[in-house]
Amino acid sequence: MIQDFITIIQDYWLLLLIGQYPNGPLGGLANTLILSALAIAFAFPVSILMALARLSKWWFLRWPMTALVYVTRGVPLLMLILWCYFVIPLWTGADVPSFLIMLVTLVIYQGAFLSEVVRAGIVSLGQGQMDAARALGHGYMSAMRFVILPQALYNMIPSMISTFVSTIKDTTLGYVINVPDLTFAASQVNNQLLTQPFQVFLILAVVYYILCWSLTFVANSVERRIARRRAGPRNARLPAEAAPLKTITEQL
Amino acid sequence: MSTSVSEPQAAQAIRIADVCKNYGDYQVLKNINAEVARGEVVVICGPSGSGKSTLIRTVNRLEEINSGGISFEGQNIHAPMRGSELNKLRSRIGFVFQSFNLFPHLSVVENVSMSPIRVKGVAPDVAHDKALKLLDRVGLADKANSYPGQLSGGQQQRVAIARALAMEPPVMLFDEPTSALDPEMVGEVLSVMKSLAAEGMTMLCVTHEMGFARDVADRIWFIDAGEILETAPPEEFFKNPRHPRAQRFLADLRH
Repeated sequence: MIQDFITIIQDYWLLLLIGQYPNGPLGGLANTLILSALAIAFAFPVSILMALARLSKWWFLRWPMTALVYVTRGVPLLMLILWCYFVIPLWTGADVPSFLIMLVTLVIYQGAFLSEVVRAGIVSLGQGQMDAARALGHGYMSAMRFVILPQALYNMIPSMISTFVSTIKDTTLGYVINVPDLTFAASQVNNQLLTQPFQVFLILAVVYYILCWSLTFVANSVERRIARRRAGPRNARLPAEAAPLKTITEQL
Repeated sequence: MSTSVSEPQAAQAIRIADVCKNYGDYQVLKNINAEVARGEVVVICGPSGSGKSTLIRTVNRLEEINSGGISFEGQNIHAPMRGSELNKLRSRIGFVFQSFNLFPHLSVVENVSMSPIRVKGVAPDVAHDKALKLLDRVGLADKANSYPGQLSGGQQQRVAIARALAMEPPVMLFDEPTSALDPEMVGEVLSVMKSLAAEGMTMLCVTHEMGFARDVADRIWFIDAGEILETAPPEEFFKNPRHPRAQRFLADLRH
C-alpha cells in the first residue's frame, strides 16, 4: 500500500509539480500555487474597494456593489465559473485562456466574500475612531488608510485567512473548464493508472491540506506576533474577540 | 508651522449664531447664540440629554446643523466648502473625547505624531521630537513606546490631550473628558487642563466637574433641553443662579 504511493510519486512527481511544461502549458502544483497567489493578491485589494463602495455615502457606488455582492454570494461558484467561461468569449470575441477566466471568477467571487469581512471589520470599530481622525484633520481616505483599515484588517485576520484558504480550495473547480492545475494533473495520472484512484486522490488531498494548513500557520504566527507587540492587560483580549468570527466564517 | 490663509481677525475665537439642530422631530439645539473670546475658558454644564455634547460636536462639524452658523476665527465652519478646506479648519480645533479614542494600533508617541506628519506634512523626526515634548508636558514621557491598551484611563486621556495639542490648535474642545474615568484618575486630567488654561489656551469644555468650572472657567454656559438658559462667570453662577432651572440643577448637585 505505502509502496503504491511511493511508486506513483516517483513516476509522476514532475507531472504533478508542473504539468506538461515545457512541452505543454504550465500545470500541476505550480499552476495551483500561481492561480491561488494571484487570486488572493487581486481579491484582497478588490475586496477593500468593494467594502468602501458598500459603505459609501454615494448611491451610485453603493447600490451596484451591494447588488454584485448579493448576487455573487447567492450563486454557486461552479455556476459563476461556467457562466464566465461561456459568456466572456461571447462578449470579447477573443479566445480567453481558461486560466484567466478562472482567475477573474475567483477574484470576483472571493472579493465579494472578503469585502463582507472587511466591511464587518470597519463597521465593528465604531464611530469613535473615525471621529477622532476627522477631528485631527484627516480626510476620509486618510482616516481609512492610517486609522481605520490597519485596525479593521488586523482584527479580521482570522476571517480573511479562512477566505484565502477557501480560495486555494476553490481553484480545484478550474478542473471543469480545463485549467491545468494540480487537480487536473492528478486526474490525468488517475486516467493513466486506472486502478488506483484512492491512492492518487489521497496524495492530492494531502498536498492541498499541507498548502492550506501552512497558510493558516503562517497567518496565525503573524497575528500572534502583532498581538504580542501590542500586548497589555487590555489588549490581550483582542485576538479572543476576533476568534468567534473565525468559527462563523469557517462554516461558509 | 502656521497654515494661515488671510483670515479676518475676529475678536471671538468661536461664534455660535442661531444654531438649530433636529434629530427627526426632536429638536436637540434650539437657536443657540454664544461666543468664546480668545483666551477664554468656557465650561458648558447642564443635565444629561440637554444637548451639551451635541453642541460641542457641532463646533468642529462632527455633527451637522440644520440652520445657523458657527464661525471659527471668522470663518463659518458650516458653510458649504470643499472637504480639504474643512479638514484644514478641523485640524486647527483640538478635540478631546469622553472615550479617549486613541488609536490602539499605534504606540503612544505615534498616536501623537501621526497626524502632524500625515495631515500637516511635518517631517517625521521633527514631529517625533515634538510628540515627546508634549508627552513630557502631560507627564507621560516614560510611556512613549507603550500602546494605549497598556495605559490607565487617566493616562490615555492625557495622551489624547497631547495628541490634540500636537496639531497646535488655537482652540481646544473637551467633551466630558473625565466622565469615563475612575474617580482617582480625574485629578491628573484636570490638572493638565488647568495648566493649559493657565497658558492662555482658548477652551470650551463640557464637564460635570463643578470644582474645575469654579476654579478655571471664565464663564459658564448653562444649557438645558437644547437651550442656553444662562451664561455667567462662575462665582455668579454658583452663588446666584438666575434661571430657576439652573437653581434646581445646582441644588441637585449639592445633595
